[in-house]
Amino acid sequence: MLRHRSKTAVAVFLLPPLLTYVVAVLFPILQSLFLSFFRWDGITPMEFVGIDNYRRMLVGDDVFWRAAGHSLVYVAVALFFQLGVALFLANLLTYVRRGRETVKTLFLLPAIVSTVAIALLFQRVYSFEPVGLLNGALDAIGLDDLARPWLSELDTVLVSVSVPEGWRFTGLYMLILYAAIIAVPAELEEAARLDGASSWQVFRHIRFAYIRPVWLTTMIMATTYSLRGFDIPYLLTNGGPGQASELLTTYMYKTAFTSTDFGYASTIAVFIVVQCVVAVGAILVLRNRGDKTA
Amino acid sequence: MTSALLPRAARPMSTREGNRRLRIARAFSTILVLLIVAIQIYPLVWVVLASLKTPAEFAGGNPFALPREPTFDNFGRAWEMADLPRYIGNSFVVTVASNVFIVLLGMMAAYAIQVLRFRWSNAVMGLFVVGLVVPVQVALVPLFINYARVGLLDTYQAMIVPLVGFSLPISVYLFASFFQYVPHETYEAASLDGAGPYRVFFKITMPLSVNTIITVVFVNTIFIWNDFIFANTFVLSEQLRTIPLGLQNYMGAMGSVDWTATFAAVCVTVTPVLLAFLALNRAIIYGIEGGGSKG
Repeated sequence: MLRHRSKTAVAVFLLPPLLTYVVAVLFPILQSLFLSFFRWDGITPMEFVGIDNYRRMLVGDDVFWRAAGHSLVYVAVALFFQLGVALFLANLLTYVRRGRETVKTLFLLPAIVSTVAIALLFQRVYSFEPVGLLNGALDAIGLDDLARPWLSELDTVLVSVSVPEGWRFTGLYMLILYAAIIAVPAELEEAARLDGASSWQVFRHIRFAYIRPVWLTTMIMATTYSLRGFDIPYLLTNGGPGQASELLTTYMYKTAFTSTDFGYASTIAVFIVVQCVVAVGAILVLRNRGDKTA
Repeated sequence: MTSALLPRAARPMSTREGNRRLRIARAFSTILVLLIVAIQIYPLVWVVLASLKTPAEFAGGNPFALPREPTFDNFGRAWEMADLPRYIGNSFVVTVASNVFIVLLGMMAAYAIQVLRFRWSNAVMGLFVVGLVVPVQVALVPLFINYARVGLLDTYQAMIVPLVGFSLPISVYLFASFFQYVPHETYEAASLDGAGPYRVFFKITMPLSVNTIITVVFVNTIFIWNDFIFANTFVLSEQLRTIPLGLQNYMGAMGSVDWTATFAAVCVTVTPVLLAFLALNRAIIYGIEGGGSKG
């Protein structure tokens, strides 16, 4: 604490950032909550409808629940890459002798490319006519039976729009996990190896146990980021064909800015916030339970 | 956790056998890593290759082949099809302005919370940290309505305000974590010399924070330079289009897309961030590794 601080100084430093934050983030959250109790198209007078929007969302809207289910698939696919592949690769990388820095740099590259560019890219990766990169690759390794228009088939479209989201941040999470693994004391692993532990046992009982706190941080980041995923599905398929790749976020966006149903869109937005808070809460509960049993 | 918990092998391995196994593990891992990196990176390589091929070669050719006769025609067409310099200029304005506010406001908040301290410091810090998990979508409808009311729709500010607001949590968090490690004596000494909170901020805190500023700027620049959702919602006119919106102009109205020109445009728009990334590569990787393991 500074000796010569004063209430004025605190106010001078704190108020501008706090005000910006309130105007751009906190107040809009409250405003969404408020709007979710109204019916409003932005032009005619607002009409208070009580909990009608919530009732409509929870019991009267099939599209909402389908979109909610799709969002979970989207998160699952993203986590497969950002936690699964990332952890696997971070581990492998510790066994590699040369070129680790180059691998790290290359792996981070997709993270700096804009989602619009990624959407353009994957539109061509998945395309069937003309033959895109994925179908071309399948053809080259003799799996041409699997070739299909990935973005227009109902069975494949949801996973197809989810993969780019997982793909672009795999390197980022790999780096975080790699840094954690590198910090595991070498003596621990050495001792285990001398006792005849296999690589898998070393990983399971020493490395993974040691990096658990970082693993949970990564889980929170990856989960909340993919729950708000929007750009790539919106640009690639706009939720289609039909509503086979509709996520809560794309549904909310269209409800707001295509149907100009601001009240109902706000209700869905409130649900998305609640979902993120619940996800973080669940992961933290998981952590506390893990600490007790470990 | 100790190694005693692990099941013991019947016969401890000899060192030689252990070395051999380790060598095999290393070779196997290296091959696997190379394979995964190749798959991970190929889509980006493919974009670059495509931007150098003729449209005919790209449409009919092998997606894994190098361009037969590299051509820069695609870049010329990309330049004519849309107003690339304008998009890049707009992205620069938004990115630079946002970063100035993010760094300055983030540092100010962290200084008040971590260095000056006050009765509600922890609560205010908590308020900022909550923002880390707030999805941006929640702000779209309210901001759209508020902007429409005060006539801010379709301006630079309309993009900058939410970009700054949603970047503040991570910025405040990073600065506050850094200020924690500044030794107390540094401030004590300055205080004894009669320096007030303003002098300390400008003469001590700011100059010490250069590395953190670089991390904050880089993390946020990726987010801002590539922002699609705020720009798409609040910008209506062609003149204010940033790169992500501009790239959409390459998707032809009739569904016909000049792919090689589009990919050339993608290459051009990625270049500024790519150069910054390669230049600051070490510092960035160091920042991510440090930030994550503290969490």
